[in-house]
Amino acid sequence: MKACFYFQVHQPLRLKRFSIFESHEQSVRERYFDNGLNRQILEKVAKKCYLPTNALMLELLEKHPGMRVSYSLTGVFMEQCKMFAPYLLDSFAALAKTGRVEFLSETYYHSLAALFPSKDEFVEQVKLHQREVEKLGGKTSVFRNTEAMFSNEIAYLAQRMGYEGILTEGIEHVLGWRSPNYLYSVKSCEGIKAMLRNYKLSDDIGYRFSAKWWSEYPLTADKYAKWLSSLEGDCVNVFMDYETFGEHHWEDTGIFEFLRALPGEMGKHPNLEFVTPSMLVKSAGAVGEIDVPHVISWADMERDTSAWLGNEMQRECFGILQELEAPIKELKDGELLSAWRMLQNSDHLYYLCTKSLSDQDVHNYFSPYDSPFDAYVNFRNILEDLRGEVKARQKA
Amino acid sequence: MIGWEFPPFASGGLGVHCLELTSRLCAMGVEVDFFMPKSGEGVNSSHPNLHIIEVAKADISPYIFVSKSRRHTTYGENLMHAVEQYNKECAAVLVQRAKERGYSLIHAHDWLGVKAAGEAAGKTRLPIVHTFHSTEFDRTSVPWDFLVDIERQGVQNADLLIAVSRRTKAQLMRLGANEGKIRVVYNGVDAQKFNNGNGGNAALERFRQGRKTVLFFGRLTEQKGPMQFLHAAKKVLQVMPGTLFIVAGKGDMLPLLINTAIELGIKDNVMFLGYLSEEDQKRIYSAADLYVMPSTSEPFGITALEAMSAGTPVIISRTSGVGETVKGALLVDFWDINGMAQKMLSVLKYPVLGSSLSNAGKEDAMKMSWEKTAQSTIEVYNEAVARGKQ
Repeated sequence: MKACFYFQVHQPLRLKRFSIFESHEQSVRERYFDNGLNRQILEKVAKKCYLPTNALMLELLEKHPGMRVSYSLTGVFMEQCKMFAPYLLDSFAALAKTGRVEFLSETYYHSLAALFPSKDEFVEQVKLHQREVEKLGGKTSVFRNTEAMFSNEIAYLAQRMGYEGILTEGIEHVLGWRSPNYLYSVKSCEGIKAMLRNYKLSDDIGYRFSAKWWSEYPLTADKYAKWLSSLEGDCVNVFMDYETFGEHHWEDTGIFEFLRALPGEMGKHPNLEFVTPSMLVKSAGAVGEIDVPHVISWADMERDTSAWLGNEMQRECFGILQELEAPIKELKDGELLSAWRMLQNSDHLYYLCTKSLSDQDVHNYFSPYDSPFDAYVNFRNILEDLRGEVKARQKA
Repeated sequence: MIGWEFPPFASGGLGVHCLELTSRLCAMGVEVDFFMPKSGEGVNSSHPNLHIIEVAKADISPYIFVSKSRRHTTYGENLMHAVEQYNKECAAVLVQRAKERGYSLIHAHDWLGVKAAGEAAGKTRLPIVHTFHSTEFDRTSVPWDFLVDIERQGVQNADLLIAVSRRTKAQLMRLGANEGKIRVVYNGVDAQKFNNGNGGNAALERFRQGRKTVLFFGRLTEQKGPMQFLHAAKKVLQVMPGTLFIVAGKGDMLPLLINTAIELGIKDNVMFLGYLSEEDQKRIYSAADLYVMPSTSEPFGITALEAMSAGTPVIISRTSGVGETVKGALLVDFWDINGMAQKMLSVLKYPVLGSSLSNAGKEDAMKMSWEKTAQSTIEVYNEAVARGKQ
């Protein structure tokens, strides 16, 4: 049983409380993005999660020669590191140096560009991201789209860009009776293999680790290693947010002790082997084909795009982002282009989600706004300002 | 139940609450003797379980005249005398009726019923449930010690207190209430009542002339924030010059507000409507494109729920009780004129926001029923009676 651990590392570039009554002498980036807040949050999460977890990973990699892990760092995250905390990027580069850590590909701006009718922007963002990751010392043949958004078409795009594997969510309505613990080929693609997240075992750590209501609480490393070892199949894909360690579950929950003990406990089971995604897609074959005509993701109960495009407010804003692509690219203004791309960050749409207003704890937990309506007011006014800026520069 | 006002002879949330609550309580099998001052117009009972007992004459609306400038004349003499008289007679009649009616408890509202409840309970040994719809701390920025003392007394006398929001609960604790005896019971709304959208009003339409319309509806007092509304209106008009602002309601700030509209140079875009009948209220909610409640301190804010049930998007002050419990609303800080104007403009400019707020607001209003309020109130009654027996 090949065990593939993959961690998503991302911090949205949070927006300023935009005022339509203020004068607009600043650059668009200064006008829209709250650097003070972004620095503050990045430094806080670095202290609670990224730095201690990276240090622990490095220690574990040195101690356990068979251990392997993988990450994907969004471009938005790396850019903020450069601005506010360069030492943080160094600590990831140190992990890459071990040769047993893989950084996966994704869209630089953590965007929904894969859903634009024209795929040019998507391809550009993936290439931008590749370049940044290579600077960190990473190399991969596996792609993971924003929030694991996936469809036959997205897999096809990834394949055309030369990727051999793509990550997504192992959901029942795609798999039917089949297990997520194998690789699959994708309908109308040739060769690219889909790696499916085992959401149960992933969420056991990511969501339920500190849940006192859970019948398996407390989760121990030896128990978890036993679960992995007793699985049937070729591989188990455990994917989660890196912020699981120290941020979603605080240090006092014992999450770091769990992580510290896990490689050793897994070592007690000879059938378990750590792999990176690239190793996995090269070493195992597809056992069947999946067919995903409509986009799936790893978000919410629905596991579709409704967390970002489920209501009219979200679709309107996404429409404006799309509409601005051609005029912004024509203007060839680097600053405008980068601001527009930063606004594509999926989080800005996520905050607008009104799905069952009575029960949107997860959305509220991550949102800096009072409500989705409040988030819309801010985002929409910024988009309107950008639209005005584009028009003004077209005239000039 | 010791009340003060009953619609249509009402000036605020207290009256609406008493009418809606008593009718639901009676439908749920509770017998209510509702004490109120003689209105001179005759108030009819809506249910055989509801008996309206009018005692003493008082035709002064208590909250209209709560203002620093006038308290020593109108508020001080006439109203205080009337309240005093009402409480005295109320207590006497209540004690007398208690023997034949076999009451289980006394339910009083606000400072107006404190003395009657205390006196009657002293003689009958009945438990007191006291609801606070507002406190002196909410009504003015310079609380009047005399009223604060009465409210303190009410808080002490009660066996259980009902606060209309967590916000009011905090105010009651400021008055010395023990947290353990406060229960939060939110107000409700009759979602059907304001959701009839029966075609607006021709006269209003003529004045409106297709303009986007923003509504303020409440007593024209400092507490309700009409001044902030006008200043935000000025900002909105700089961006959308054609917008119409309606100020509905009466109160002692009216002359000041009219002057302010003139001074700000926005008088042609502001319409003062004065008192509204219930029919006109229904019309005005559905005619407005946006309802704004900029209160500096709003214990609950029933009108926001009414507007929501009519499908009108709402912007409400963060310092309000209703803002604690609804999701389909935009919140603002009452002092943040720019923020308020920006949110008003957003609703007016982006139809998608208005329709999303409207849908979410209707859902909220459906959940906030008076039946629920009555049910929770009965639970508090049962608890008070059980405590009394211990």
